[in-house]
Amino acid sequence: MSIQTIAHPVSPTVPGVAPVIVVDGLTKAYGDRQVLDGLSFSVAPQEIFGILGPNGVGKTTAVETIQGLRSRDGGGVGVLGLDPARQRAKLRYLVGSQLQTTALPERLRVGEALKLFTRLAGDVVDWRQLRDEWDLARIERSAFGSLSGGERQRLFIALALVNRPQLVFLDELTQGLDPAARRDTWRLIQRIRDEGATVVIVSHYMDEVEHLCDRVGVLHEGRLTACDTPQNLIAAAGGSVRTRFSAGDLDLTSLERLPFVDEVSRPGGLVEVKGDASTPVLVAAELARNGVIPADFTVVRPSLEDVFVTLTSGAAS
Amino acid sequence: MTVLTTLPTLAFAEARLLTREWAAMVFAFVFPPLMMVVLAGVFGSERDPEFGGVSGTEYYVAAYLGVPLGALSLVGLPVMLASYRERGVLRRFEAFGVPTLAVVAAQAVVTAALVVLGAALVLAVAAPVYGIPTVQDPWGVAAGFAGGAVTMITLGVALGLAAPTARAAQALGLLVFMPMWLLGGGGPPRAVMTSAMQSVTDVMPLWHTTAGIREPWLGIGDGGAHLLPLAAWFAFGVVAVVVLVRRRDT
Repeated sequence: MSIQTIAHPVSPTVPGVAPVIVVDGLTKAYGDRQVLDGLSFSVAPQEIFGILGPNGVGKTTAVETIQGLRSRDGGGVGVLGLDPARQRAKLRYLVGSQLQTTALPERLRVGEALKLFTRLAGDVVDWRQLRDEWDLARIERSAFGSLSGGERQRLFIALALVNRPQLVFLDELTQGLDPAARRDTWRLIQRIRDEGATVVIVSHYMDEVEHLCDRVGVLHEGRLTACDTPQNLIAAAGGSVRTRFSAGDLDLTSLERLPFVDEVSRPGGLVEVKGDASTPVLVAAELARNGVIPADFTVVRPSLEDVFVTLTSGAAS
Repeated sequence: MTVLTTLPTLAFAEARLLTREWAAMVFAFVFPPLMMVVLAGVFGSERDPEFGGVSGTEYYVAAYLGVPLGALSLVGLPVMLASYRERGVLRRFEAFGVPTLAVVAAQAVVTAALVVLGAALVLAVAAPVYGIPTVQDPWGVAAGFAGGAVTMITLGVALGLAAPTARAAQALGLLVFMPMWLLGGGGPPRAVMTSAMQSVTDVMPLWHTTAGIREPWLGIGDGGAHLLPLAAWFAFGVVAVVVLVRRRDT
């Protein structure tokens, strides 16, 4: 097993608490194409863990293999202490799942879907309670085919919770949603965790992962090239913080001498100072000391997107 | 939840969904009685050697019991199944611990119930218009109906699993159903067909279904002779279903 990490090791450090998911050297190939090639990570209880990666990189294969919906070629997977390949029947009472590109029959009504799936799950929750909790009462009699994207996702989340799962997988849950619906969905995901479940989300939306996840694994060439908190990933692989402002004919040498400053340049008339996260404050203080108060003082911090581009463009390996 | 409790839950949900599929319902429940009324009316109540010594009316009333069976098995069921697979409904159920075979079984059970309903409807329409011919051999009719239903539903499941999309399933289903309906008992009697058409008819499972019901009903021919070809088609259907389910798994 070989894992490339750029900051902390893959294991979440919660002393004395067993991880909910342990993946160790997972491999999976489709014909000649090696999709997963030594994938390893673990997820702690009540974490929101994100798997990030470009389209077609194997994110869905990874989560479906971890759930036991696909067979694995090699490596070990433990989910809530069970092996999904051999103990899927037990696992399905503990795990909730929203799979990518799955649907319901067009003419199935929202209330009927809730009733059907709570019944199939053994009636451990009252479907009316789920309906009310997830704001589905208003559309209870609507057919699945007539629901908006946001309504569908709300229903899918409710259906993923009919067995009161300890672990929930959500694969590309917000794909195709408008920004308002996406933000609503984020709130719902946080609520699932607040109520005690562990959540694994698969996404290629950076803002979503950055906003929601406690830790993020970046999947590239069949394994995680990085796995850490979004903040740590950005600090380690996001590149410089850039501070831009106009400063007339100010002498730049005092800025160059500031600690943690990497580079000072004047592209297109604006001064740009590259440095670490503390640079903007130091630059602002230095400008103020020189009596320069620029109205266009702007700080551009690296985002998870920068990390993603760096890590998946091959630069990391 | 065990399979025993899953199946009725699924079947109930499937049945309710199917009643909302208006096109399929019209095709299965309106088209057969309508064609029966027209054809039985055209050929009248005179006994005719071309109908095996019975009247056209008797011939078509008995034969049309098998037509909703064909329509539901070869068009309704495959379209439903293929659309479930195409749209990821089967995967959703699978993720939920409901195997594809359970969903398939639920759809087959619902189709079987509708087949009985469709046959009853043909008789209900025939009764006041032409009367219902006396059943000569009730056990023979039951055997022909059951054998035909099991075989046609199995073939319909195979068709639904083989078709890549719901549209393909509809096209394939109609392509298979229409000739079977015309040559397999719903159209002209076998005696007026050319020998080439008769050879085609002789291999059609729907022909053996309608003949297997009609002959013991009217006391003509040997209804039992149709059970063997139906068994062969059933065996073919089972093999096809097993192969197609395995192909899906890999």
